[in-house]
Amino acid sequence: MKRWIAPLVFGVVSAGSAHYAVLHFAPSLIMSRAMDLIAQRGAQLHQFQIGQRTTPETQTVVRPSPDLAYSACLYDLSQAPDGLVVTLAATPGYSSLSFFDSDTNNFQTVRGNGQTQQVRLLPPGMASTDDAMTSPTEEGVILTRRLAPSQEEFDAAAAIAAKDSCAPA
Amino acid sequence: MKRIFAFAAAGIVGSAIGAYSAATMSGLLPGDRRTMEGISISGWNGSLDQGSSDASPYVRARIARHGLLAMAKSEAIYFTRATDDAGSPLRETCRYRLSGGPLPAGWWSVTLYDADNFLPDNDDEALSYDASRTGSGRWEAEIAPTRPQEEIGWISSRNAGQFDLTLRLYMPEPGALSDPLDAIEAPSLERLACEGEGQ
Repeated sequence: MKRWIAPLVFGVVSAGSAHYAVLHFAPSLIMSRAMDLIAQRGAQLHQFQIGQRTTPETQTVVRPSPDLAYSACLYDLSQAPDGLVVTLAATPGYSSLSFFDSDTNNFQTVRGNGQTQQVRLLPPGMASTDDAMTSPTEEGVILTRRLAPSQEEFDAAAAIAAKDSCAPA
Repeated sequence: MKRIFAFAAAGIVGSAIGAYSAATMSGLLPGDRRTMEGISISGWNGSLDQGSSDASPYVRARIARHGLLAMAKSEAIYFTRATDDAGSPLRETCRYRLSGGPLPAGWWSVTLYDADNFLPDNDDEALSYDASRTGSGRWEAEIAPTRPQEEIGWISSRNAGQFDLTLRLYMPEPGALSDPLDAIEAPSLERLACEGEGQ
């Protein structure tokens, strides 16, 4: 009996390690695949890409909202050491700018409130200031959302989204 | 040799159990429809931890699988349901009445998703129902594979198979965050009839 104790302990430790590894790595792996998919759809680094109106044919990530106009900016702060300046153009109706790190955390959201909003995003390790925030990871994605339940509203939102910017400081 | 085999077997079996249990508990397995957990209001299940670094590893994995790029609760809260008011799974072959009143948010919507967490493959232009169509009072909509005969809101379930619904509350009012059970009157979902059944 005694000789089985060590393998049993090893089995329990393996179970705990595998359990932790799945939970720890699954979100970042899923996020990485989603970012690859966004890039394959033509998104350039440090540049907003206006998404097509969300339909069954155009959806790229799970559970997209067909009532919103999205645009996405992929970022890699190792290639923008002074950070990024991100601008959300003024929009009548709901609009927001949301920042996601590569671990899927939505670490900041800025609501449009009908006005142009500008945020500076700094690389990990730099100190946040009143007008600049620090990304927890070097890579991530920034999304804009605008309320656009109809084709007409989507067209108007897309025209405004063309004025958004996401560029190295 | 026997001892090496015992360690290898324990490692393989232990790793498999650990990985499977993590996938099960966090909703990562194919076919798992538990998109959100934490708060349950009249059949709608939600969590206030989505998108947050404070979320447990299980919630974070579940959100990554079923609701990637969900916003934090200050901006939006999400609820999902996969059953009707009687507890039966939602199916394309049935018609349902979705009804409710004002919701404590700047804007809200209800959207239908298929078993793969995507919009169903149809061109009915009726993928969701939202606050812009309801005014400030009571409202109702029908969920069905074909457009209802009466003038009523419609969410198309054509080609959805077994599906679920996501309720989004954007710009939630403070009460919806501090006391969601009291503040949110979640829409009801009554099954009207199914194919092969009488009305």
